[in-house]
Amino acid sequence: MGSSKAPPGHFTILYFASANSYTSKDSEFLPARLPLAKLFETLDEKYGGMKAKVLESCLVTINLEYVDMPENGEDGVIINEDDEVAIIPPVSSG
Amino acid sequence: MDSATKTAERLRIQIAATEEQLKNLKGQLADLEAQSLGNSFQNVSVQEELDPVTHEKWPLAAEDYKRYGRQMIVPNIGIQGQLRLKNASVLIVGAGGLGCPAAAYIAGAGVGTIGIVDGDEVETSNLHRQILHSTSKVGMKKVDSAILYLKSLNPNLKYNAHTSHLTPENSQGIVSQYDLVLDCTDHPTSRYLISDICVLLQKPLVSASALRTDGQLIVLNSPPLLAGNEAGGPCYRCVFPKPPPAESVVSCGDGGILGPVVGVMGVLQALEATKLIASGKLTSSGSEEAKKDASMLLFSTNSNPPFRSVRLRSRRPKCFACSAEAGLTLEGLSSGSLDYVLFCGINVPVSILGRDERIEAKEYAKLKTENRTDHLLVDVREKVQFDICSIEGSVNVPFSSFQGSRFKEGDGKQPTWIPQSLPPDAPIYVVCRLGNDSQVVTKRLKESGLNKNGRYIGDIKGGLKSWKEQVDSSWPEY
Repeated sequence: MGSSKAPPGHFTILYFASANSYTSKDSEFLPARLPLAKLFETLDEKYGGMKAKVLESCLVTINLEYVDMPENGEDGVIINEDDEVAIIPPVSSG
Repeated sequence: MDSATKTAERLRIQIAATEEQLKNLKGQLADLEAQSLGNSFQNVSVQEELDPVTHEKWPLAAEDYKRYGRQMIVPNIGIQGQLRLKNASVLIVGAGGLGCPAAAYIAGAGVGTIGIVDGDEVETSNLHRQILHSTSKVGMKKVDSAILYLKSLNPNLKYNAHTSHLTPENSQGIVSQYDLVLDCTDHPTSRYLISDICVLLQKPLVSASALRTDGQLIVLNSPPLLAGNEAGGPCYRCVFPKPPPAESVVSCGDGGILGPVVGVMGVLQALEATKLIASGKLTSSGSEEAKKDASMLLFSTNSNPPFRSVRLRSRRPKCFACSAEAGLTLEGLSSGSLDYVLFCGINVPVSILGRDERIEAKEYAKLKTENRTDHLLVDVREKVQFDICSIEGSVNVPFSSFQGSRFKEGDGKQPTWIPQSLPPDAPIYVVCRLGNDSQVVTKRLKESGLNKNGRYIGDIKGGLKSWKEQVDSSWPEY
């Protein structure tokens, strides 16, 4: 999971736990700006089935702060260039 | 034939009796070992009692000043913190990879009453990470094994053994006896149950989890205010309102776990518990003045930085458990009307293939010895598992490579893992660890059109577990 800076016009997305296994990636750069409401769709297109299988039960943070996923067609906050988004699925084993 | 069956039955009974005897002997040995350690401690305390300084003059016993001195002189603890620890009671749910290190440090720190809940028995596959158990305790109840260890570590505390799993029915009776709860379990159903009962009984909850090389830690319901009070800490449902799909839930047995990873998470739980108790923030009144936002600590061995702390939301306005609109009640929970298994979903064994699409391990073995060239055996376990042991001649195509968009269905091209030399009508057999993934892959291969030319595609029923049982008893069980 890299600390390297996103290239211009991109944000960093970190994949934890099952999001990591599903994408086979620790992190990647995606084009900014992106409305938060479009995030799950964008990822689902890239990784078929990811929304139902992983994303819907996840906690999402932007720059280490919890964000509410927008409901009822709202755009919610915008993910900006250089932001760090984290997809955090619940881990239940121990 | 009949006499062979009788002999086998007699042998089974003999084996069972011998195993029982072995288990008893191991228990006796572990008891003796703990006693001899306990005795040496008692000798010390007898000498201490001869000391003219009486206990009444000082709030702690003479030995306790020595035992806890190194932590008492830490400014955040002090004698007041130590007395709070002594008067506190902590419930540890789960005596596994998290519960073992957590319990060791909590007992070491002198928490007066420690309860441990677990219905499992110690297995050999636990020992690399569950540090309170040992080889001689395999087969013993985990709770008994843990308490034996803890008594030898610190005999001056009260230990309560709860030797069955926490259930909606027994949870109130158990959890109500304690001030603070540690969730050291391993399944979504128990995570939601423990969070719910902690909200209902107003107990703070320190929750941790770990898988492979990653871990999570959250302090929940702290301060533990009544449902509907927005100043209370969020509960597990506020953070994860929707459980993950049952088929995506991976256990340490299936996904793997590094000992130090789950160890560090358990140790951090003990640290959070110590902090909460020693600072007097255990109760709602003690914690109100210093409310800060809840956070989740994420640990990823291979990440840079390895630790990240993310800020969590406060209580969710429509939370089922802790909001003003909560539908959760103590009566509902303890009567069993809340079905946690239904809520989290059940991971039933895969059964998507017809009888003619599956082959028994022993049938495959026969077929393999008869003609070994004109078929292909595809092992869909992940590469790390394939490298441990594999059937001669099999090719490895990990299950994960069939997930998502990485496997294009019906694109007309033959996958590169099929050797050029394989005749187009040669059968393909699929095998995995237990016989679930192999069915999914078999179905996908057929859907991709690989079975045209009349090629047979089927899986080995029961996977490599059946291979061990039916064909090769030397197959390593990992």
